[in-house]
Amino acid sequence: MPTDADADALVEVRDLTTMLSGKAVFDGLSLDIPRGKVTAIMGPSGTGKTTLLKHITGQMRPDRGTLRVDGQNVPTLGREALYALRERIGYLFQNSALLTDYDVFENVAFPLRQHARLPEVLLRNIVLTKLQAVGLRGAARLMPSELSGGMARRVALARAIVFDPMLILYDEPFVGLDPIALNQVLKLIRTLNRTLGITSILVAHEFAAVRQVADGVHLIANGRLVASGTPEQLARGESDWTRQFFGGEADGPVPFQYPAGDYAEALGFTGAAA
Amino acid sequence: MSADMKTKAPRGGMLVDGLAQIGACGLFLLALLGAIPRSLRHLREISRQVWFVGAMSLVIIMISGLFVGMVLALQLYYTLSIFGGTAALGTVVALSLYRELGPVITALLFAGRAGTAMTAEIGLMRATDQLAAMEMMAVDPIAFVATPRFLAGVIAMPLLANVFSMLGLLGAHLVGVTWLGVDNGTFWSNMTSNVDVWKDIVNGTWKALAFGVVVSLIAVFQGYTAPPTSEGVAYATTRTVVFASIVILALDFVMTAFLM
Amino acid sequence: MNPRRSFAAGTGLFILLGFAALAYLATQTSSVANFSSGPTYDVVAQFDNVGSLKDRAPVKIAGVRVGSVKSIQLDNQSMEAKVTLAIDTRYNDIPDDSFAKIMTSGLLGDQFVALSPGGSPDVLKNGSRIINTQSAMQLEDLIGKFLVGGSSPAKSSSTGAAGGGKNGG
Repeated sequence: MPTDADADALVEVRDLTTMLSGKAVFDGLSLDIPRGKVTAIMGPSGTGKTTLLKHITGQMRPDRGTLRVDGQNVPTLGREALYALRERIGYLFQNSALLTDYDVFENVAFPLRQHARLPEVLLRNIVLTKLQAVGLRGAARLMPSELSGGMARRVALARAIVFDPMLILYDEPFVGLDPIALNQVLKLIRTLNRTLGITSILVAHEFAAVRQVADGVHLIANGRLVASGTPEQLARGESDWTRQFFGGEADGPVPFQYPAGDYAEALGFTGAAA
Repeated sequence: MSADMKTKAPRGGMLVDGLAQIGACGLFLLALLGAIPRSLRHLREISRQVWFVGAMSLVIIMISGLFVGMVLALQLYYTLSIFGGTAALGTVVALSLYRELGPVITALLFAGRAGTAMTAEIGLMRATDQLAAMEMMAVDPIAFVATPRFLAGVIAMPLLANVFSMLGLLGAHLVGVTWLGVDNGTFWSNMTSNVDVWKDIVNGTWKALAFGVVVSLIAVFQGYTAPPTSEGVAYATTRTVVFASIVILALDFVMTAFLM
Repeated sequence: MNPRRSFAAGTGLFILLGFAALAYLATQTSSVANFSSGPTYDVVAQFDNVGSLKDRAPVKIAGVRVGSVKSIQLDNQSMEAKVTLAIDTRYNDIPDDSFAKIMTSGLLGDQFVALSPGGSPDVLKNGSRIINTQSAMQLEDLIGKFLVGGSSPAKSSSTGAAGGGKNGG
């Protein structure tokens, strides 16, 4: 199922199996995230998209399978190696997760202060550069409670890129944004990817927004990869999954209740009619 | 982990649940202690927490100490006057404060003022993914969030207890000497000849230190393991007060029996 | 980083206050306060019975503190209590025929040693012995006197000597 050549993949998932409270979240998932591209991961609610991000960052270990990030098998990494890897990954949380004790400037400076002994002047310059990139240099001294949702997400983005990561994970970056803020975040994702070449993984539901930035889309359902391709390919809806998911059809293979194993098999992406 | 346990714990489950909590709390203490070397890099954070946890509790501690001292003087004066021993007022007040009331009341107030704040803060940090964000920024939340608060509580408690006792003494002096007319010289000289630094003041400080450990541990643990919902945090905050109060009073009895 | 510095200053102030409170309690309200800071000289007095006199109890003349009890031991020969008093050197002209008496401050108060100055031209020096002493008044003796010695209230004037005033060592 992996679509791209392995050499180009920054993240390589093979046979990933994860059980969460007795239920299989992933059941032999395999996929590749190409280097330097924006890849969207989509799927019905509860298919473990956020869980996949947690596997990539090593916050959660899968029960089986390998998951390589830049050649390192994450589930086997020890604490030190994991922390070293995380310094090279930016993570944008759904609710921004700014530290409420600190103002905007200190939030962005936080990773630098923790991991690099920089002269104050240099640190200040780096932080202001990142804030300028997200258009919030003027808000440096505001507290997180004074920010709107869109602004908070941009600050979180500035924080995520403060170490110039090789990979950014966006967990639902469009949720709860008004159209203006949404466009600003879209523009940022695109800019960061095009100008800095940062590989991006995007977990989102808003296909219209995803379409504007993603180079490729992976559709996950029932613990497996059911479709992948460019947004345009998927939008054409060549399988039941894609038709339901991207075509906006109410009826389709998405399980109404707990997915039963054979149901998924019968209604898989192979094209059998529902 | 306790969250899904709680949903189905009818009758016999309560005991197991309680034991599991105690065990988890003990393991958490080990994690806190193990993180001390790493959290010493965050000295600034520790000092910030001493400010929040200690200095911000100062006002309530001082006011309470003053009133407790005043009431103590009134009550003991009445009792002592039955035996004609009001000369001993200073001694009795000082011993009650140093050995018992200072550490215990300070710890109870500390649990209500600072303990709940710690629990709620950490619980909300969990609920708003701030702890996960730290993990993602390769910062250990135990070393950066939990241990500094724990240490701050341990540092602040004995200091607060001594401030409480001092204010209590002031209150007792106010009522006993200025109001009820106990002789000033008698008040102090009787006290100074009967209060022992090691047996009374230092042992009382040990107590306060132990309470600091217990209250801070419970508060940080409850916050750290609170279910990440507003209901979960509220429940955890309540539990901090309830558990901390019970453990303080029980530990007080044990320590009094063995230490003094 | 101004707010940060004020945090640190506030924290420092708080810690200082806490330790100041501890230091105050420890030095001003406990028996530590009774340790005289200046140099002292030792004087010995023997009593039949010291009652509940304790180490570091005050020694007073006319109600003014002049020193403290340094040690209380049993003299093996005379089977009497040998009390060593540490007197501040600035009180260096106490007549050597002064009278040492163990008294109680209030009914339930603590016991202390009261010195009543005599008229001798010689003064107490380091190692001197106070000849005239009066033991602690024992409540039991007092009650016993009342029960055995009848009801004469006039006798109560001598109860002060109930513990046994004594001369010589």
